[in-house]
Amino acid sequence: MPRSSTTEIKEKKISTQHRQPVYDVHLLFPVLFLVGIGIVMVYSASSAVALKRFGTDYFFLKKQGLFALLGIVVLVICCHVPYRIYGFLTYPLLILALLSLLAIQATGFGYSAGGSTRWLRFGAFTFQPSEFVRIAVIIYLAYSLNKKMGHLRSYSVGVLPHMIVFGTFSGLMILQPDFGSVVIFGALTWIMLFAGGVRFLHLFSSFVLAVPIAYFLMFNAAYRIRRIMAFVNPWQFPSDEGYQMIHSFMAFGTGGIWGSGIGKGYQKLFYLPEPHTDFIFSVIGEELGFLGVLSILVLYCLILWRGFNIAINVQDIFGSLVAIGLTTALGLQVCINVGVTLGLLPTKGLALPFLSYGGSSLLSNMASMGILMNIGASGRKKPK
Amino acid sequence: MKLRIATIGLIFGLCISAIMARAVYLQVFYGTKLSQRAAQQYEKSFISRGMRGTVYDRKFRTMAVSIDVPSIAAYPRQIEKTGQIAKALARELQVDRKALYQKLKSKKSFVWVMRKVSPKQTLRVKNLKFKGVGFIPERRRFYPNKTLAGQILGFSGIDGRGLEGLEFYYNSYLEGSRGTFKTVRDALGREFGGENGAHARYTGGNLILTIDQTIQYITESALAESVKKYSAKSGIAIVMAPETGGVLAMAHYPFFNPNSFKEFNKMTWRNRAITDPFEPGSTLKMFTVAGALETGEITPNSIFFCENGAYRIGRNTVHDTHPYGWLTLQDIVKYSSNIGAVKVSQSLGPERLYNNLKAFGFGKRTGIDFPGETPGRLSHFKRWSKIDAGAIAFGQGISVSAIQLITAVSAIANEGQLMAPFVVQGITNSQGRIVKSFHPRKVRQVVTKKNAMHLKKMMQMVVEPGGTGVKAAVGSFSVGGKTGTAQKVGKNGTYAKGKYIASFVGFAPIEKPKIAVLFVVDEPKKKHYGGTVAAPAFRKITQETLNYLNIAPENKTDTLTARLENGAAG
Repeated sequence: MPRSSTTEIKEKKISTQHRQPVYDVHLLFPVLFLVGIGIVMVYSASSAVALKRFGTDYFFLKKQGLFALLGIVVLVICCHVPYRIYGFLTYPLLILALLSLLAIQATGFGYSAGGSTRWLRFGAFTFQPSEFVRIAVIIYLAYSLNKKMGHLRSYSVGVLPHMIVFGTFSGLMILQPDFGSVVIFGALTWIMLFAGGVRFLHLFSSFVLAVPIAYFLMFNAAYRIRRIMAFVNPWQFPSDEGYQMIHSFMAFGTGGIWGSGIGKGYQKLFYLPEPHTDFIFSVIGEELGFLGVLSILVLYCLILWRGFNIAINVQDIFGSLVAIGLTTALGLQVCINVGVTLGLLPTKGLALPFLSYGGSSLLSNMASMGILMNIGASGRKKPK
Repeated sequence: MKLRIATIGLIFGLCISAIMARAVYLQVFYGTKLSQRAAQQYEKSFISRGMRGTVYDRKFRTMAVSIDVPSIAAYPRQIEKTGQIAKALARELQVDRKALYQKLKSKKSFVWVMRKVSPKQTLRVKNLKFKGVGFIPERRRFYPNKTLAGQILGFSGIDGRGLEGLEFYYNSYLEGSRGTFKTVRDALGREFGGENGAHARYTGGNLILTIDQTIQYITESALAESVKKYSAKSGIAIVMAPETGGVLAMAHYPFFNPNSFKEFNKMTWRNRAITDPFEPGSTLKMFTVAGALETGEITPNSIFFCENGAYRIGRNTVHDTHPYGWLTLQDIVKYSSNIGAVKVSQSLGPERLYNNLKAFGFGKRTGIDFPGETPGRLSHFKRWSKIDAGAIAFGQGISVSAIQLITAVSAIANEGQLMAPFVVQGITNSQGRIVKSFHPRKVRQVVTKKNAMHLKKMMQMVVEPGGTGVKAAVGSFSVGGKTGTAQKVGKNGTYAKGKYIASFVGFAPIEKPKIAVLFVVDEPKKKHYGGTVAAPAFRKITQETLNYLNIAPENKTDTLTARLENGAAG
């Protein structure tokens, strides 16, 4: 029986594949490469700031290096944890996420920096819950959409519950305030609903519904109005709202095609606010030039490409939705952060995955990549 | 669902394409304009002078160099705890606390606390981290050899302008040019880095001297030793290369340290070898004799009657130390007979004597590249009285500078060719390329080669047994020279009793002299003869310098006989 023999061969092939490590090199290499560049650029961008604030230029470098090591451990762990477990943990995780956001507001652990309260602080250790809330929400959406598959065309089943969850979380995040995360969560929810098969009409109507809310939120805070104005024409506000924008432009412009060389940028020297976190891409633009910018964008594209590929190839819908969510979340962070530094979007306080200084962001993104790898590996394990 | 995922992927692809397009726009097309705008903010340019050039000796050893040193300034308006800061700064910098307090309390926006502070003090003040106290980079002139060649180098003032010596004379070459300097500052206004490469463009030229640091040291040691030994007022010594006129060493004692010139008497700043005239005494006889030989009527063996020690001219009487009867021309030199010199001058006549002395460069500046040169004093022969013509012949009634005297003697050593003296042989720019070089310059042939030969021989006899300069004889080299002992002119215009200038001038080796040395001691106590006070120092300088210059000692029998003769004379 020739047919069965070929399937046997196929199965053999698959089983040999199974024995191979689950680490997906197409994901792992770009991620590790970005983390490496991140450590170098965090040092370059932060040394002057660190020296002034802490008396040692290694302050942020040391912490970022430590988080990178920790991040690799987290990635390895997540890579080996079967992703289906998250399905069972959906509600506990969601409640934990909600509690952590409430804790910022309600307990004494809330910690503010730069005018917003986005962190929980335990002794010397600070932690930004929204980074983990994002994963919890992705799991919830994937779980919920998977369970309701076939009923999604109904508004009350397909859209409403998810909108309620989104609304609850965004409400808490607006209190911080963290408008950037709200935008990411909104876009993430919307895209996952779209991917899950929710009707276009419902999606469109929810979008229309969101516009007045967004409008209200935007123009209710004076600083946001100014930010929008400065976004439209930053050169009009060179000393206040447009300041960051202008200096980010200058960084990119000075970098030109070839860059001024690692460590040789000027804008990080207190011209650019937060050169090692929100505006690290500007520092990269100045020091590594357009070639650096291009290389980094290509690395992100590789990750996104692989992420969506995994989502398409995995047979399990829950896994596919989680993969979509994680990949989309990464893509959104990249597009919004880079878009802000290049003046395509108004200023938001968002980290650039793998590159920005920040433990919570690095750990959550490494965890995301680990989960994604696990989904990818399982997809190859069980064909049909 | 696959289609929907692909759609999402496509949207991301579009977003990232838009981002890339934007990056191209900002970095490639709009980049220059943006970087210019950025540079306007972080670059600050100011006009300043470049670093002052370095002074090297002839072997490129550093003699004067400029270094960066910070000055401490204060911004009184920013200062809060004036009393506390004044107290701490006064302690660290050892300045008057009350005066400092008044400065810091003033309403000025800027005051100097202390200019050009040592690195140690700077560090200590920096560690205090006071608000409103700043450091401003300035430059300081540093003379690594301290007093060595101090009067040649001179010094430059706090604003970096040369005030004395070569620093003054060559100021326009040494001084850095004015240029636009760029510094870079961060958003907090703190300056850093800047283009160090551009600074070199504005750095001043470097001088390369004819002076040799080692010979200068040999000379200065001998000078200090002699002046101290004879409790003299001061002393001058010059070493010259007769073939070129280049000054190898030139010193005046007492010395001064240009690093802290303010702590020294102003009188010590001057290079008296060039600026101060003195009556040379017997050393001048050489030139009277040279003039006599040039007439062709007189030879070294012509004889003159020396009047047995006393010779009356009008109301004056000329004396010799020892009475002599008939002496040949060369014996007049050897025994340094004043009467003999007068007799020679009489046979020459005033006009020829005057013209001859003029030809040797007396009464006129040598034109050496040094400030404040004196022409000396040689009045016109038509104004000479009867005694003047005689006195000038043995070095009285004429004054010369040390540089004139050594230059003239060098002409005898250099086959009768008078060379223009010089101290700087070249100027290089900051990249080390020569921009100007000064070559030896022949002024004129003063005496014929043959007569120069005769004169050298006569001068050699001076240091031979029986001569006045026997103490100048150098063991392993043949030398020639002439002693000089001049009574100083007192305040009332007559010769002061007991105040002498003892000198010795000579060269070695006789055959082809490599160095000419002049040694002058002003007002030695106890002993005052040039042959006693100056000749041994001449001997020491000559011996050590020739050894240093690696000039082969002449044959050993000569050395031996010279030694034996020395022993006999001693």
